[in-house]
Amino acid sequence: MKLARVFVFAVAAALLGFGGIPFLHYIRADSKPAVQLDAEKAAPREVDDAVQQAIRRDYAAAWQALASAINSNDPGALNENFVGLALDKFTQRIRDQRAFGLKTRLLDRGHKVEAVFYSVDGSAIELKDTASIETQILEGDTVIHSDRAEIVYYTVMTGAEDHWKVRVLESAP
Amino acid sequence: MRKFMLFAYMVVLLSVARASDLRLPESTAAGQAMTIAISGTGDGVLYLLGPSQVIKRELRLDRENQLVIKGEELRCAGRWIAVLRSGGTWQSQVFWVAPARPENLNFLARPSRVPVDRRGVISGMAFVFDSYQNFVLQPAPVKFTLSVGDTGASQTVTSRNGVAWVSSSSARKAGAAQFVASLGETAVRRVVQQVASDPCNLRMHVVQQNKRGVVVETDPIRDCTGNPVPDGTIVTFTQTDSAGRSTVDARIRKGIARAELPAADNAHVTVAAGVVLGNELQLGGRR
Repeated sequence: MKLARVFVFAVAAALLGFGGIPFLHYIRADSKPAVQLDAEKAAPREVDDAVQQAIRRDYAAAWQALASAINSNDPGALNENFVGLALDKFTQRIRDQRAFGLKTRLLDRGHKVEAVFYSVDGSAIELKDTASIETQILEGDTVIHSDRAEIVYYTVMTGAEDHWKVRVLESAP
Repeated sequence: MRKFMLFAYMVVLLSVARASDLRLPESTAAGQAMTIAISGTGDGVLYLLGPSQVIKRELRLDRENQLVIKGEELRCAGRWIAVLRSGGTWQSQVFWVAPARPENLNFLARPSRVPVDRRGVISGMAFVFDSYQNFVLQPAPVKFTLSVGDTGASQTVTSRNGVAWVSSSSARKAGAAQFVASLGETAVRRVVQQVASDPCNLRMHVVQQNKRGVVVETDPIRDCTGNPVPDGTIVTFTQTDSAGRSTVDARIRKGIARAELPAADNAHVTVAAGVVLGNELQLGGRR
């Protein structure tokens, strides 16, 4: 009898555990990722504390928006945080995905970001980001690809009305 | 039972043997054709997912297959994922597409209007892209030229992490400066309007004086390098006498500012433009 109880408990725990993982993933895909910023080596201008704080906030928001847009195939989610080439490129990717019945789920596990350039006039900043990301490609609801990798991104952000927007976001080997 | 297990094992082995095999180059460049080798038979679908595009191919596989993706299709650089569906199974591979050779510049010049003869006030930064608008991280020489009329200076800077920048002083001569960033055959031009700086040696004199009032005007107003201060700049004349203080804000017209002040027996008149003070006049008494 006792053995049966243990068995039932173990099965229930396993079901809860395995069932909960996708749910947790779903939450993580839509939450703001952690961003660590090191601005010590930025040149030619130093990045002051207020700007560092704004970059951390707005870069995290940009990744959150990208994960949401690319998962729901809604390019409108990008408008608040992306501009110029980056906005055009990700919008096109989402249109193509939608046309072929695909979706991408980004499970963002955080960003280690280094500021490598900050313009003299303070209007543009370039970041080198080592992102830890799990990428899942879905055809309908079927996961057809999944990988987890550390990917290096080079990002250019420019100052907009009251926050920074991503103008370039490109991965490099 | 043992025979059944053996049979099942053979079936699994055969199905694995029939599964397609996907082979891609580990890296290629934007705009270059890419050949993908696929071994297997039957119908299949291949997706190539790049940062800004997705390519789909319906396939009819016949043992060893070579699929060519044309150069003009492979436009965006970065991390790509190839996913092949064949015989009810999926397989995928990550590959990289490098940018093509640097060809385009995104050039930002600041500010658009600047006083003459100021050190390090003009900055230019150029972001380097290929012809498909991929950010090029490889170093590339970018030439910056800043010129007014027939005088100018140029400097070549090698881009680092995709950006090249310069900081420059404004010229001594006012005018529209051509600020050009060039990379190979590509040149991007911006105009930086260099305007006269603050007035220098601001001086006024009385032009007319009668019972109704006194008219004062400045000498032609120039900055310290001899450039005429632009028309429309405000010059303030202030008259102080026993009745109090009168102030007239006059705009420079044709290089001169003029004001009509109330009549006074004994008045003190000053002139200023921005933070620059000019000479003083004593009316009705000695200067």
